[in-house]
Amino acid sequence: MDIDIDARGLKCPEPVMKAREALSGGGGTFSIMVDNEAARDNVTRFADTSGCKVEVESSDVGFMLRITPPLEAGETARSTVADAVARISTVVFIGGDEIGRGERELGTTLMKAFLYSCTESEDMPAAVVLMNTGVRLATENDEAISHLKKLEELGTEVVACGTCLDYYGLKEQLKVGRVSNMFEIQSILSSADRLVSL
Amino acid sequence: MGPGDLQRIISRLPEDTSPELLSSIHNGEDAGVFLLQEGLALVQTVDFFPPIVDDPYTFGQIAAANAMSDIYAMGAKPLTALNIVAFPCAIGTDVLENILLGGHSKVREAGAFMVGGHTIEDEEPKYGLAVTGVVNPSEMKTISGARRGDFLVLTKAIGTGVLTTALKGGLVTGEQISEAVQSMCLLNREAAEVFARHAVSACTDVTGFGLIGHLYEMARASSAGAEVWAAEVPLFQKTLEMASMGMIPEGESRNREYVRDSEAVADGIDEILIGCLYDPQTSGGLLAAVPPDALDPVLKELKSGPCPRASAVGVVTGEAPGTIRIKSKGV
Repeated sequence: MDIDIDARGLKCPEPVMKAREALSGGGGTFSIMVDNEAARDNVTRFADTSGCKVEVESSDVGFMLRITPPLEAGETARSTVADAVARISTVVFIGGDEIGRGERELGTTLMKAFLYSCTESEDMPAAVVLMNTGVRLATENDEAISHLKKLEELGTEVVACGTCLDYYGLKEQLKVGRVSNMFEIQSILSSADRLVSL
Repeated sequence: MGPGDLQRIISRLPEDTSPELLSSIHNGEDAGVFLLQEGLALVQTVDFFPPIVDDPYTFGQIAAANAMSDIYAMGAKPLTALNIVAFPCAIGTDVLENILLGGHSKVREAGAFMVGGHTIEDEEPKYGLAVTGVVNPSEMKTISGARRGDFLVLTKAIGTGVLTTALKGGLVTGEQISEAVQSMCLLNREAAEVFARHAVSACTDVTGFGLIGHLYEMARASSAGAEVWAAEVPLFQKTLEMASMGMIPEGESRNREYVRDSEAVADGIDEILIGCLYDPQTSGGLLAAVPPDALDPVLKELKSGPCPRASAVGVVTGEAPGTIRIKSKGV
């Protein structure tokens, strides 16, 4: 296939910056050619972290990476899943470990109940985004962790904000989901058909 | 060029031997050591590199702290320093002045003297120092004294390679990596004093080969193995996040290649975190092999003093020389 970006001869972090530019340009799948393993690995890490699908092909002139942005990758995946999965993508944004403002005990109970309800719902969220103290739900709260694991089994993507995990010193305790960053979270939130914010 | 290439080239250089020569170019010691008289040896080192931060004064400070680090890693005291400068005509001379002022401030803080230097014209600026120090050979720290059961203590957090790459890529601001910048400016002097008080078995500084690369050199020179506890390795804020965004510098893969045949990684350790353990550092911390009975006081003195992020990151093992096992945590 044609090369959209030729990043051969460029030093880190330039190949990643080229890929990032292409991704934020909003176009569809693109290909980028790099000539060393460090650049291949870095562009792959960037694409993975950004929720893209990456295919790598190596040849004697370098490595060709074919990168499919999250929306397209998601749609391809979704169309292969049975009709049980709704066509409209719902994203749940959880910015804290309790629901509403009031007694903490009640707030955390409600949050656990909400997550449980999600696992029983017919309209499964495509993604659950955890930010601020919301990351505690995937690290410290055993009940919430089991609901989130169940959601993950059912095909929901669980992402936790890396900066928040760092801030609360919880990075090593992540029990469910994966670490994400603001760049990807912004793209998940803005590509949602329906956003539920708690 | 990675550590492997360099080692191949150096191994082909003829080696000089003399009773006064206490170091060898072949064993990866941090600095050259020459015995002047009973109880007094000369210690020499040199290091220079292109700017890694935007502010010239700060760059000068980092380059100087980095160059003197080899002296401290050997338990020595810096006496004099020479500037090494490559500079393009197109950049204003005030920039160079600030770089040199920054360097000078650190040399003075170390109690040493800036005695001269040499400048050439070059497309890309580079700055560093050749540093001369002294040590009593009986108090000298080498990389070859680590013993089975010693704990590995690291005095600074890791991540300067990833973060300065992210700075170059515009993914972070200088403000966001200020923790790492301050750490790079910090002299390893006080940490070396703590290690001297407690007679650690071996010491090196963590720079271009990354934490694991330098540990590998220490393990081989000491005919020992080592276990690293990945979860205990302190990382600067935003390091993991930036590494996961593809901001790992090229040196990381060369470092990993260098150690690959001797390295075993336990299941379930994040690949990105392992990348950080191989991240080439600038003006990184000291890595010492600390006897078990000295561990508590060493950590306490480091943490309450110059190195709040100091941590025991592993242990020296009796495995085959150079064997590095990366686990999540110690038992």
